[in-house]
Amino acid sequence: MSSGKVIHLKNVVKKYGGRTVCDIKDNVLGECGIEGLIGPNGAGKTTLINLISNKISLTEGQISFFKDDEEIDISKSSLGKLARIGLVRSNQIIQDFDSLTIMDSLLLSLAPSKQERFYKLFGDKKARKMAEEEIAWYLDFFHFNDPYGHADSAGEKKLLDVIRCMMLKPKYVLMDEPTAGLPEDQTQKAIELMKKKTQEEGMKILIVEHDLELIWGVCEKIHFMSEGKIMIKGTPEEIKCNEIVHKKYIGE
Amino acid sequence: MSSYWIQAISFVAIFIALAGSLYLQSSIGGITNFGIVGFFGVAMYLYTIFVVTLAMPPLLALLAVVGIVFVVALVLGRVILNLGPQSILVATLAFATIIRHLATVLEGVTGAAKGIGTVKMPWDFEKTSDEKILFMVVLIVLAAIVLLYAAKIKKTPYGRLMLSIKDNEVLSESLGKATLNHKVIYFAFTCAIIGLFGALTAPIYTYIFPHFILADVTFVVWIALILGGRMSVWGAVVGIVATKFLFDFGIESALSAFQVRMGPAFGAMWPNIKLAVFGAMLIAIFMFRPNGIVSRKREGGQQ
Amino acid sequence: MDFWSYLASTLLLGIQEAAPLVLAAIGFTLIFRLNGFINVAFAESITIGAFVGVTLNLLGWNIYVSMIPSAISGGLLSVISYLAFYRPALRRGVGKAEMIILSVGVSYLFRHLIKIVWGNETMFYSSPGTQPIKVFGVGVTNLNLVAIGLVIVTAVAITLFMYRTRYGEKMRALADNEVLAKSSGVNPLATSTLIWAIAGVAAGVAGAFIGIRLMVSADIGWNIILFIIMITIVGGIGSVRGAIVAAFSVGIIQMGIALPANTYYASIALLVLFVVALKFRKEKV
Repeated sequence: MSSGKVIHLKNVVKKYGGRTVCDIKDNVLGECGIEGLIGPNGAGKTTLINLISNKISLTEGQISFFKDDEEIDISKSSLGKLARIGLVRSNQIIQDFDSLTIMDSLLLSLAPSKQERFYKLFGDKKARKMAEEEIAWYLDFFHFNDPYGHADSAGEKKLLDVIRCMMLKPKYVLMDEPTAGLPEDQTQKAIELMKKKTQEEGMKILIVEHDLELIWGVCEKIHFMSEGKIMIKGTPEEIKCNEIVHKKYIGE
Repeated sequence: MSSYWIQAISFVAIFIALAGSLYLQSSIGGITNFGIVGFFGVAMYLYTIFVVTLAMPPLLALLAVVGIVFVVALVLGRVILNLGPQSILVATLAFATIIRHLATVLEGVTGAAKGIGTVKMPWDFEKTSDEKILFMVVLIVLAAIVLLYAAKIKKTPYGRLMLSIKDNEVLSESLGKATLNHKVIYFAFTCAIIGLFGALTAPIYTYIFPHFILADVTFVVWIALILGGRMSVWGAVVGIVATKFLFDFGIESALSAFQVRMGPAFGAMWPNIKLAVFGAMLIAIFMFRPNGIVSRKREGGQQ
Repeated sequence: MDFWSYLASTLLLGIQEAAPLVLAAIGFTLIFRLNGFINVAFAESITIGAFVGVTLNLLGWNIYVSMIPSAISGGLLSVISYLAFYRPALRRGVGKAEMIILSVGVSYLFRHLIKIVWGNETMFYSSPGTQPIKVFGVGVTNLNLVAIGLVIVTAVAITLFMYRTRYGEKMRALADNEVLAKSSGVNPLATSTLIWAIAGVAAGVAGAFIGIRLMVSADIGWNIILFIIMITIVGGIGSVRGAIVAAFSVGIIQMGIALPANTYYASIALLVLFVVALKFRKEKV
C-alpha cells in the first residue's frame, strides 16, 4: 500500500454565475481507509463529489488521482475513464437499469470488456461461471427478495448500486449517503462490507452522510464542510468536540 | 409453389429481418433509427451497380456492400449518436432522404427514374422458379438467424451492456463502459444487417427504381414493430405478418380467391386504404396497448 | 447568367420559395415549443389547406378568398389531431420520442384519407390571373408579392401576439412550466388548443400558397416536413424570429444551389448542413 494519498484537490473552485459553491485550496483524500465528509445542507458536499467524479466540471483548479505512485490529472476525465483507473462513486439519488435483473446488473459490473463483443453470442455460460463465486458471496452477504428478478424497493436499488461499485474493485469509492433508505440490518451489513473491503483489500472510501452515529463509528478521519469550504479535518474525537462544528452543524 | 407466393414469402422474410434489426436497434440499443430505408436503399443500389454495371460476382458484391454499409453507419453513428434521441431520429431521417435524392440525381450511375437492372438471381438453374425458391429459402434462413440472435442477446454480456446503455447511459459509463464507442459499433453492425437484406432485395425486384426507397419503407417497419410489440423480437414477426403479409398478400389473394372482382378504381385506392389503416392501427396501439400485441409482464411481476 | 442576375435571382426567387416555408415553420415551432415533440402530421395541415383551397377555387372561388377556408381547414385538422390523439397520449405519459412515432401514424392516417377523398391525381388551381412583375430584372408575380406580404404580416402578428399580449404571455408561461402556469390561472386546455389552431392556420395558408405556385397533391406537406423540422431546430425551438431567419436562409440557399445545379443537389446540401447544425447546437434536442 502506498503513502496513502489518493486524491489531491488543488485550488478547486466551482462557481455558478457569480456564486461560488465550492472553494477548496488544498485537500488530500485517501490517507485513511474510511473517511467521512459531513456538513450542513447546502455546504457543497454533493457538489464536491460531483466535481471529483466529473459529473460537473471545475470552474478552476485541478484534481489529481494517484495510482501506483503516478499522478494523473482527472479534472477533465470522463466517467468511464475514472471508473477504469479505479475511482467510482455510488449515487445519492437512486439509479438503476430498468431492463436488467439484479443478477444481470451484477454480471454487467463484472463483465470484462473482452466478453462484451457483438459476435460473442455464446459468452454467457462462461461469463456466469467466472462470476459465480463472487456474486454468490454478495448475494449471501446481503438479502435480496428475488435475486433473479428486479430490485423491488428503494433500499434494494441502493444496495445494488453500492455492490456494483464494489465489484469494480476500485481503488477509491465516493459514497453519497449510501445507507439512506436502507433498513437497519442492511445498514449494518453495508458498514461491515466497507470495513472488510478497506481492511482486507486496501480499498479507500469517502462517505458523505448525515447520520453522525454512523460516521463516528466507521470513519477514521472526517472532513467538515461548510459554505463550500473544508473547514476542519480530524479524527472523530477531534471533530465531535470542535466548537465550529458544533456551531454550524451539530448544535442546530 | 406459385411464383406469387415465392415472392410474397421472400418479401415477408426480408421485412421480418428488417423489423428484427429495428428491434435490435431500438429495444436493445435504445437507438431511434428513422432512416432504415437509407441503409436498405444504399445497399440495394450498390449491389445492383456492382453486379450489373461492374459485373462483379454476386457473393463478392454482397460482401463489399455489407462492408460499405457498415463503414457508412460507423461514420454516421460517430457523428450523431451522442446527440439526443429526437436529434438522432431526425438525422437518420435526413440521411435516408439524402440517399433517395442521390439515387434520383446521379442518373449516370443509378439510372434514376429509368431504373437500373437487370439483377439476376445469384445462381443459375434450369428452372427460374427453382432459382427463386432457393433464394427464398436462403432469405428465410438468414432472417431466422437474425431473429435468433435478437432473441438470445438479452442474456449475453453484450446484450446486458447495450441494455444498460439504453436504460441509463451515465450509470453504465460510471461502471467503466465506453458507452459511445459501443453504441457506434452496435449501430454499425445492425445497419449492416439492414444493408444485407437491402442488397438481397435487388434480385427479387430485378429492376431498381428510386421510388422503392421512399420513407414509407422505414415507417412500415416501425409500425409493424410497434404493433407487434417492442419488448420481444417476436413482436417483429407478429407485426410484419399483421401488416405487410396480411395487407400486401393475404387480403389480395383472399379477394381473388373469393373471386371478388375489384375494379381499377379500387386497385388504385387500395394502397391508400392500406396505409390509412396502418396509421389508424399505430394510433390505436399507442392509445390502448402501448406495448404491442406481443407484450408480457416483466419477470417479477413488474410492468 | 452573369453574377449579378444570379445573385438577384437567388435572393428574390429564394425569398419567394421560402414564403410558405416561413409560415409553416412559424406554426410548427410554436407547437414544438409548447408540447416538446415533433409533430410530423403537421404536414397534413399544409396539405389539406391546399386541397380545400383548390377545390373551392375550381368551383369558382377567387384565389385569395379561398385561402380563408384553407386556413380554417388547416387549423381544424391541427386541433383535431391534438384533442383526439396527442393530448390523451401526453396525459398518459407517452414520452417525447414516442410522440413522434404516434404523429407518424396520424400523418399516415390523414394523408391517405385525403387521398381517398380527393383521389390520387394531382390538382391545379385554375389560372390565377397573376401578373408578372420585374423586380431588379427578376420575374416575380403579384401573387408571390402577396405571399411575401402575407408572410410578413403573419410573422409580425404572431410575434406581437406572443410577446406583447397577455394571451401570448400565458402561452409562453404554459410552454415553460405547465404546473406553474396552471397555478397562475392559465387554462392549459384552452391555451394549448388555441396554439394548435394558430399553428394549423399558418400551415393551411402555407399549403394554399404551395398549391397555387406549384401543385396540389397529397405529398406536398410530407415533402417539406423534414425541412420544416430542420428550420425549427436550427432557428431555435419556439423562436418565431429564428424560424423566419432560418426559413428564408433555406429558401435562398436552396435557390442558390438549384439555379446552377438542380433542386436535388440543393436539398442534399441543405440536409448535410442541417446534420452539421444539429451537432453544434448548444441545447440538446
